[in-house]
Amino acid sequence: MAVKPKTLSEARAVYSTNSELAWWVFMRISGLFLIFLVFGHMFFNNIQINVADVDYAYVAKRFSKSWVKIYDSFLLGFAMLHGINGLRYSLEDYIQRPGRRFWAKVVLFTVAAVIFVLGVMTLWAFSFEEMGDAVRGLQHSN
Amino acid sequence: MYRGKEGQWAFLLHRLSGVAIALYLIIHVLDISLVMYGPDGPFNTFLAFYHQWPFRIGLVLVMAGVVYHALNGLRIIIMDFSEWGIRYQRAMWYGVLVLTTAIGIPVLVKVIPEIFGGV
Repeated sequence: MAVKPKTLSEARAVYSTNSELAWWVFMRISGLFLIFLVFGHMFFNNIQINVADVDYAYVAKRFSKSWVKIYDSFLLGFAMLHGINGLRYSLEDYIQRPGRRFWAKVVLFTVAAVIFVLGVMTLWAFSFEEMGDAVRGLQHSN
Repeated sequence: MYRGKEGQWAFLLHRLSGVAIALYLIIHVLDISLVMYGPDGPFNTFLAFYHQWPFRIGLVLVMAGVVYHALNGLRIIIMDFSEWGIRYQRAMWYGVLVLTTAIGIPVLVKVIPEIFGGV
């Protein structure tokens, strides 16, 4: 990418495909959402508590709340799309040879897919009835 | 290496912080996913490992990167979508640095004693 577009009309002119223009717009919109989502996430887990107090019981209690599941799902989705697309821009800028660039992106998207599925599983595909006495104890004490 | 003016440094810091945050995100999802092994699984051992002071300093740096990336991202959005943004991009970048520091100082005051005071 030789020329970095600076305005929406320049971006329209520079990008040959609609998908690159869509990503350009997406990076800005998702960035706005992520400011609130990530600042909130850091505030809950680093400022309101001492992050060294995070352990299994803390995470299990957090993930047993519906609003955390929904909040963290949006956070995971936006952060993965924004972050992986940002890494893709970097690979495309710094890897010169087309073959290597292709395989680097194959590796990146594979890792991204595995991480995303793991994250969704952690948030949702998880029966809290089966998580053992630790969680049941926590839920009763609420 | 090309050494440009403020805009070049703004870009370089944005890219460095972005790559660092993305790599942190991947590791973070991986380690949190260990809760799926249950209360007797490896989760607590792993977190105790990450709670050693070098990793916690690293976490402070990642958070500083997030604040810079967020504020500089706002600067980019203003540059892209407003008439006046590019004219004031240099002033806005210094504003980003000042705001990042202003947010960072109270965070450091809260977090540094936790790391080294054994609170």
